[in-house]
Amino acid sequence: MMGGYGDIKLLNDDGTRLDGRAVDEMRSVEIKAGVLPVADGSAWVKHGLNVAVAAVYGPMEAHPRKIQRQDRAVIDVRYNMAPFSTSDRIRPGFNRRSREISKVTAEALESVVLVERYPRSKIRVEIEILAAEAGTRCVGITAASVALADAGIPMRDMIVGVASGKIEGVVVLDLDKAEDNYGQADLPMGILPNTGEMAFLQMDGDLSIEEYNLACEYNYKAASEIHELMKQALLDSASRGDA
Amino acid sequence: MVQLVPQLLRQQLAELAANDERTDGRSRWQGRDVELEVDILYNAEGSAKVVMGDTIVYVGVKFDTATPYSDRPTSGSLMTGAELRPVAHRKYEPGPPSPASIELGRVVDRGIRESGCMDMESLCIVPGESVWRVMIDLHVLSDGGNIFDACATAAIAALRTATVPAKRFDVGEDFKLELKSTPVMCSFTRVGGRYVYDANEAEELGGDERVHITLGDEGHLHSLQKGLKGVLMPEEFAEILAQAGVRCAELRELIHSKEA
Repeated sequence: MMGGYGDIKLLNDDGTRLDGRAVDEMRSVEIKAGVLPVADGSAWVKHGLNVAVAAVYGPMEAHPRKIQRQDRAVIDVRYNMAPFSTSDRIRPGFNRRSREISKVTAEALESVVLVERYPRSKIRVEIEILAAEAGTRCVGITAASVALADAGIPMRDMIVGVASGKIEGVVVLDLDKAEDNYGQADLPMGILPNTGEMAFLQMDGDLSIEEYNLACEYNYKAASEIHELMKQALLDSASRGDA
Repeated sequence: MVQLVPQLLRQQLAELAANDERTDGRSRWQGRDVELEVDILYNAEGSAKVVMGDTIVYVGVKFDTATPYSDRPTSGSLMTGAELRPVAHRKYEPGPPSPASIELGRVVDRGIRESGCMDMESLCIVPGESVWRVMIDLHVLSDGGNIFDACATAAIAALRTATVPAKRFDVGEDFKLELKSTPVMCSFTRVGGRYVYDANEAEELGGDERVHITLGDEGHLHSLQKGLKGVLMPEEFAEILAQAGVRCAELRELIHSKEA
């Protein structure tokens, strides 16, 4: 998927990117918590042109019984792209991509939620992508974390989804659509902002060790910025008194 | 538990109905405030969001090109899909489209299609070869009752503000989708023995059958649907039809107010 389009220009002569951002500049991010009245917890995240909504239901009895774990809760994550979220309409329903993203997102969340507090139960996390423009798995993880916190589910930390990548041989923070399509690498991470751990990690393309280190540095910097917005969204929601 | 709660709720709703009251203090024919936003989704060629109380729905309109049906070689086509995904309520399970979501999509589709508001001939690109296919997707994010009206309102608002992406498909310049009228749906639910307009979540849980009415600009009927278990008398239908005329006109005005 990465590379192979060497003739597409993604950097301006002055070193800025096509949308005017500096190489270490993130797209604008807006976060709201407590946006869905019937859910136990919810969040809305706009990251650049991406829009994700997450809802949390539970903890509830785990059904069917075979998915129950005697010592902990299971986290049931569904990442779904709305049919109208992309340029060409997507056929509704699960596909291989959404199944994989759901799986790794669930595993990331299981590493921060205090699942041992709720044996034999299930926590449902629903991630709906309403507009997709590169980086939706990361936006989904950020939204899911805020929704879990909004639902009052105890967690060691939240997870911030961020990505860096490489375009025209230059490491850049937060790829947009064109950069994702025609760039050379993509490194999405789920970072625990308080402990500095990684709960989610994927990569594709081509990165040298030095480039990886720089991309990683960009990701951590962006994660701490997004973390502030996540906390503020939860404070705003709590002070409104709803959710 | 599943059976017990609605039984207690039914009793409470019947008591409220006896005093002509509702759970949220509304009068019988009063709707919740409707918030409508249009053109809000970046990748959709038409889009709208409707908030009615605890109900939140998004509707997106997409286009592509298709081969026309051989008996109607110059006619475009319309498709409406609905998904009641588990995000919208704890009662919804993942899986293939449920009968409830299929009904929602089809009832909204009929109101729009049968009103004739879309000139299908204007969606012809090359007769017999290529026509525009209009795809409406109803996406319920929070089911706080009466998702039918929320979806139908958002759908017609999204269509009326949609742009046909001809340039992206290399068949000329983009153009506004032309709509000749504004069909609007109004839904009524039997709660505590009598009909109310725009039922909320509790009223649907403890209520009986529902009736969906779509009216066109001239007040003509374009689609009707009775859903769920229950029966009604012609006099009752006449009463809600008269109310539908008033409510549909209000919603139509709201939809038109969002058009540039």
